[in-house]
Amino acid sequence: MRERAIVPFAFLALALIGLAVFRVVPIFIAGIGSLFSVSLMGDRVFVGLGNHLSLFADPGFWQSLRVTLIFNLLINPIQVVLAFILAMLVFRPSPGIVFFRTAFFMPMTFSIALTAVLWSILLDPSLGLVNSILAELGFERQPFFRSQNQALGTMIFIATWKGVGYWMLFLLAGLNGIPKDVYEAAALDGALGWRRFVNITLPLMRRPLVFVLVADTAINFLFFAPVYIITNGGPSEATNLLMFQAYQSAFAYLNMGRSLAISTIILLVIAIFAVIEFRFFRERKDV
Amino acid sequence: MNGYAGAKWSGEVPRYGLLIAIAVVQLLPIVWMIISSFRPADEIFRHTSEISWRTFFPTTVTFDNYLALLSGDFPVAVRNSLIVAGATVAIGVVVNSLAGFAFAVFDFPFKRTLFVLVLASFMMPFEALVIPLYTLVRALGWTDSFKALILPEVANGLVIFLFRQFFAAIPREIIEAARMDGASWLQIYWRIAMPLSGATVATAALMIFILQWDAFFWPLVAASSPDYVVVQVAIARNADFEQANWGQMFAATTMAVSVALIPFILFQRFYVRTLTQSGLK
Repeated sequence: MRERAIVPFAFLALALIGLAVFRVVPIFIAGIGSLFSVSLMGDRVFVGLGNHLSLFADPGFWQSLRVTLIFNLLINPIQVVLAFILAMLVFRPSPGIVFFRTAFFMPMTFSIALTAVLWSILLDPSLGLVNSILAELGFERQPFFRSQNQALGTMIFIATWKGVGYWMLFLLAGLNGIPKDVYEAAALDGALGWRRFVNITLPLMRRPLVFVLVADTAINFLFFAPVYIITNGGPSEATNLLMFQAYQSAFAYLNMGRSLAISTIILLVIAIFAVIEFRFFRERKDV
Repeated sequence: MNGYAGAKWSGEVPRYGLLIAIAVVQLLPIVWMIISSFRPADEIFRHTSEISWRTFFPTTVTFDNYLALLSGDFPVAVRNSLIVAGATVAIGVVVNSLAGFAFAVFDFPFKRTLFVLVLASFMMPFEALVIPLYTLVRALGWTDSFKALILPEVANGLVIFLFRQFFAAIPREIIEAARMDGASWLQIYWRIAMPLSGATVATAALMIFILQWDAFFWPLVAASSPDYVVVQVAIARNADFEQANWGQMFAATTMAVSVALIPFILFQRFYVRTLTQSGLK
């Protein structure tokens, strides 16, 4: 309905102001602020791409970028596939299914900070419940967060424990949205089991899957609390994710220019990943 | 899992095996935490290092952890979190539903561009902007205030999107009839659109509430003084390995999770329905 322009904008005003001030302005602050450095005298000095260039010359940054990319290349496919499997498992009504649905999303009521606190003690090498169970079953005790080789994988595990039920809900909503008669028609054509999954379910789930993948990627690039609470980036930089670097640069080294330079790079990488993910699925439209 | 036409029991056994195995991984830590919160401090790890039936069945039940927690600083953190989450829900539902209404009902210049920007804003999570936002909030002189904790989370692209999808499905005739009767747009929004959208309001309120109740990174950065400390930051601060009181820690975590869990279980039905209807599926 066409109305004098003032009416729709009156309805939009508060939300648009909120998004402009707290979402758009910070992007510009990150971009512009990353071009400045604070001198010893406390003056803001324009350094152009100086902050970025010194980042690129810093092995610590490359290590952090590498860890962040490995983390994301592993965790996002793992979470999306697992969430899809869970959604398929609990989609069909059967005895007790409400209990299982609830059990699966229960961990999402833990904030990421609480998840970190809980699992840091569960996975403690000496006191932790997990190691006691492993020992009981005849396995060796594991160091988990204390080991350079296991720390990142353990981060992926606890993040997946918390997150997978949340993404399951989105995919469950997607499965609910597939019309029943599509399946009935397929059954008449003899498409069952795996073929039905590949030819019908998967293509019709493309949109929710892309949504979950993109949203999950954006969140995981910003993974922070467990690193801050449990490992402080260690051991030996194994969990030194970019967001933690950005935090430390700002609040431990008081180098806002470096921190904002990292923030701009994170924003850029998320945008690149989102575009790649959308493209990847669009090309497979005709599957 | 080949479904529909009555799966045979032989197919159900592996399915239930898998369901049970995953449920154990998801629930066991939570059960252990809740039980530990009712144990005397010196008993928590005694039953953890030696697995026995006592590990999951408390033999000595005590409420001391909760009582100690309530007499300390924790209630301040709970109060702060409730203020922040409650205020954000109240303001957020109104602000975002108004915007969703505008996108659903009106044609106006730059509508598509603005809507794409709204969608982009929820693809770009808030945490990415925490550090630059901190410099903004500091420049405004808002650090260590409720304003800093509440206002940045009010406008929410996902919630605007959900409201738009719901309002767009309201039949045109209803709105046109109300216009003919001389109703203003604000009356149509408030008397017609909002009362119809109970499930969407519930979902939006739940989303915003949990977002704020669980917030950690932004409160850690923006409002770190004890007067404004929120639940998540308070718990993380006490998670110091050398001197943590784990009994109280688990009691605090149990309380924090309960507050998020209860509304979630109550509104779960609306949540999935709203997501399905929104085409976000």
